[in-house]
Amino acid sequence: MATRDPRRRFGFRLRTRDRIDRDVSDELAFHLAMVAAELEAEGWSPADAALEARRRFGDVPTTEAYCREQDLEAYKEHRRMALLADLRADVRVTLRALARSPGFTAVVLLTLALGIGANTAIFSVVNAVLLEPLPFAEPDRLVRVWHVNDEQGVTEGAVSEPDFLDWKQQTTRATSMGAFFHAPGLSGLDLTGDGAPERMQTALVGEGFFETLGTRALLGRTIGDEEQREGRNRVIVLSHDTWRARFSGDANIVGRTLQLDGESFQVIGVMPPHFTYPADETLSAWVPLSVFGPDDIGRARGARFQGVVARLAPGTTPEQLDAELDGVAARIAEENPGNRAWNRVQVASLRTSIVGEVTRPLLLIFGGVLVVLLITCANVAGLLLARATARQRELAVRSALGASRARLVRQLLTESVLLAVTGGALGTLLAIWLVQLVTAMPIGLPRADLVSVDTRVLGFAAALSLLAGVLFGVVPSLRATRSATNNVPRGGASGSVGQGTRLRNALVVAQVALAVMLVTGAALTTKSFARLQSVDLGFDPDQALFVELSVTDRYDTDVAKREYYQSVLDAVASVPGVQSVGAIRDLPTRGGGESGTVRVWGEDDEPSSRPLAAFHQVSSGYFGAMRIPLLRGRTFTTADRLDAPPVAIIDEELARRRFPGVDPTTKSLQFGTTEVPIVGVVASVRQLGATEAPTPTVYLHALQNFRSRMSIVARTTVDPLSLADAVRAAIWRVDERQTITSLSTLEQVVGRAVARPRLLASLFALFGALGLALGAIGVYGVLAFGVTERRREFGVRMALGASARRVQALVVRQGLVLAGLGLAIGAAGALALTRTLESMLFEMRGVDAATYAQVMAVVTVCALLASWLPARRATRIDPAEAMRAE
Amino acid sequence: MPTTAPLPLLQGTVDVLILRTLAWAPMHGYAISRWIRDRAQDTLAVEDAALYQALHRLERKGLVVSEWGVSESGRRARTYALAEEGRAQLEREVRDLRRYFEALFLVLDTR
Repeated sequence: MATRDPRRRFGFRLRTRDRIDRDVSDELAFHLAMVAAELEAEGWSPADAALEARRRFGDVPTTEAYCREQDLEAYKEHRRMALLADLRADVRVTLRALARSPGFTAVVLLTLALGIGANTAIFSVVNAVLLEPLPFAEPDRLVRVWHVNDEQGVTEGAVSEPDFLDWKQQTTRATSMGAFFHAPGLSGLDLTGDGAPERMQTALVGEGFFETLGTRALLGRTIGDEEQREGRNRVIVLSHDTWRARFSGDANIVGRTLQLDGESFQVIGVMPPHFTYPADETLSAWVPLSVFGPDDIGRARGARFQGVVARLAPGTTPEQLDAELDGVAARIAEENPGNRAWNRVQVASLRTSIVGEVTRPLLLIFGGVLVVLLITCANVAGLLLARATARQRELAVRSALGASRARLVRQLLTESVLLAVTGGALGTLLAIWLVQLVTAMPIGLPRADLVSVDTRVLGFAAALSLLAGVLFGVVPSLRATRSATNNVPRGGASGSVGQGTRLRNALVVAQVALAVMLVTGAALTTKSFARLQSVDLGFDPDQALFVELSVTDRYDTDVAKREYYQSVLDAVASVPGVQSVGAIRDLPTRGGGESGTVRVWGEDDEPSSRPLAAFHQVSSGYFGAMRIPLLRGRTFTTADRLDAPPVAIIDEELARRRFPGVDPTTKSLQFGTTEVPIVGVVASVRQLGATEAPTPTVYLHALQNFRSRMSIVARTTVDPLSLADAVRAAIWRVDERQTITSLSTLEQVVGRAVARPRLLASLFALFGALGLALGAIGVYGVLAFGVTERRREFGVRMALGASARRVQALVVRQGLVLAGLGLAIGAAGALALTRTLESMLFEMRGVDAATYAQVMAVVTVCALLASWLPARRATRIDPAEAMRAE
Repeated sequence: MPTTAPLPLLQGTVDVLILRTLAWAPMHGYAISRWIRDRAQDTLAVEDAALYQALHRLERKGLVVSEWGVSESGRRARTYALAEEGRAQLEREVRDLRRYFEALFLVLDTR
């Protein structure tokens, strides 16, 4: 019997030491005795002989000590070699055992690879987005500051230049403040002269921008306050990617002159890699804000367009800065009627403003995939338990032949760890492939350029594999070897197997519970996404081509610009297959237009109670091409031109808010001192995407209110992309130097806007499916094993007259009991999950009984299916055979 | 019987003496010391302490192996035997010593 000898684990050294000491003493004592005997034979007295023997020997104590030391060293070395040999033997045995059951090995490796691979891939995203430090100096001291207008419900409002300068001057709790303007797709410059014309996505930076962020340039210098001055501001700082891609990483780029929008700009610096602020993903360059004068971008206090970053003073918290700036904003609001309702600010950490939106969904996905791995481990543990139980006899024989329990456990653990590590290695390969997929997907993930399988991610994969191996290996090993070392090997199922079954049952219940949670997550995210998809955007996204371009300054007169604009539209309209063409500056989901307040002609209302609206500049064919229904009055026609009286069209949202009960077409708007009659009302469009309510909108004719950016929509009778080349060619026939910023279909554009919810739903659907499959396998496994175990019992029952159906029912009932327990536990978890998801999902309102019922039903059906096969097997048992066996 | 005092051993020769002794037959420490004394006709002084230290060192290095048994007199005794590695080492060292002393005496015997 293997009793637990404490000295064997902790005190082996002590026991060995004693033995060694004793041996050395005995050896030397023997020698001395022999010499003494020799002397006695020569006539010495016994006492003298002993002394003389000792004297002749030499230094006995030193020799004793030395010999003991040598022996101890020899022993340690020997043990080390034995351990290594054992390990090598274990690995060899394990490999052979695994090779003998290739099916088992393959299933385990596959599930582990999937589990660990998925986890590693998601972790690489988490690592890049949430863990990697931001590319700024002391990023935790940086905040974003927004202007707040509670009356209009604006909590993250842009800031005007006078307001920004006042804040900057009056704050004591920030060491620096910087401003910038960046509208993806809008703030861009055309690069010409150096090869193919290209649109550079640019950010306009105001005073203190680079100073506040603290990031140094890789080459040259950044834009400072000096460069904001007139005469010195034709400078540009390039992003690392642009420098490499467009300018081939030219080492002499600093000092070069580039032609942007027809003007000469000097390159003064290049930023380090992965710095693209304020853009999320890509940015070509930064130029001083002052390049665009007051005529291009308003500088009045009411022209709110800038973003503000600030660096907290040492010891200051964001709340303190918030409070201080609230005071400043309130003071400004008192002194300036136009700012009356803009009397507050909002301060948030810069990190939150960059990744905040994706943090929770990302962590949720990470949690989900970890749960899948847990289920996988439970599954593998169950499989290993079953296998170990089947090898009871082998283990018992080994134990009887002298293998210690530790030795057996070590051997079984070697198996689990080997499986885990191999599965992990395969999983890492899978992860690398998955990461490549993820980075190619345009889901607008901030910091996506950092996502890669780097050392930290590899470390995570390795640690996870080891952990998994120990997790699913430890319990089966201990369980199996306990019985093996306790029982004498005998034929047939021994009683100790009962314990294993209880554990396996527990594992399956846990699996089912986790699967319930995953399926609930899948149901909720899918429903939310479906709801999102079903939202009417206000226009028809099918069968429409979308082309974006900008009218360059080469067309320098008002007339030239407008003629070109019209020519381009006419050219596109002439392409066979194009039904109708229209243009707008900001396509829905790609921009919100220009924001401003609505003044009604002849009505004297207070400035700050005028409704905020989005202003868009469209061509006459826009509403037709987009299939936006006209509700009242007329749309724009060719009669509305540069020299015709200006007119406006409003949407039903603005009509509802500002003209309740009145026909808006009888009213006019006031722009400055001009009266602009409202000639029509169109249906509202969800300009900002399905999740945002429609904003009140005013449409002006582009030829009367020209903007250089054109988002052209061409409704087609055939597949839109098949006309892409023809449309491009048509545009180039008008001007061969026209840069086309982007070209795709309306469907793709709209799809991109819901890409994240779609991804979330898809991932959770995948997790749910995996969870269900694994849970079902778990249930099947335990039931199948149970049937084998209880073969005799079933045989007896059937011999005594039980029908096949009764026997089947027994098995199925066991399956349902397990599933039921899992459902009950899982339901609690699902409730918690719902609460977490509520804030993240679209129009999800708390406990939805229908969804839960559906989830329960799905899980129950799966459990039933999983029970069916073992149940059938139970009925095929031959009673006589069963009772005779063993 | 020696007429002169036994010579002290040169550094490192205890090891080769032990190996040679064990090449003849496995024996315990006391027997090794007596065997060497007899063969060298008392010319070499092998201190017992040094002998035992060398024995244990050789075992640690893996050149000899030991096991406990019962002596002729019925007492518990540790017997040593030559290992394969030890045999090879013995041949090497004997050869090197021979060469060394041949060369040495070439010089010393010069007329």
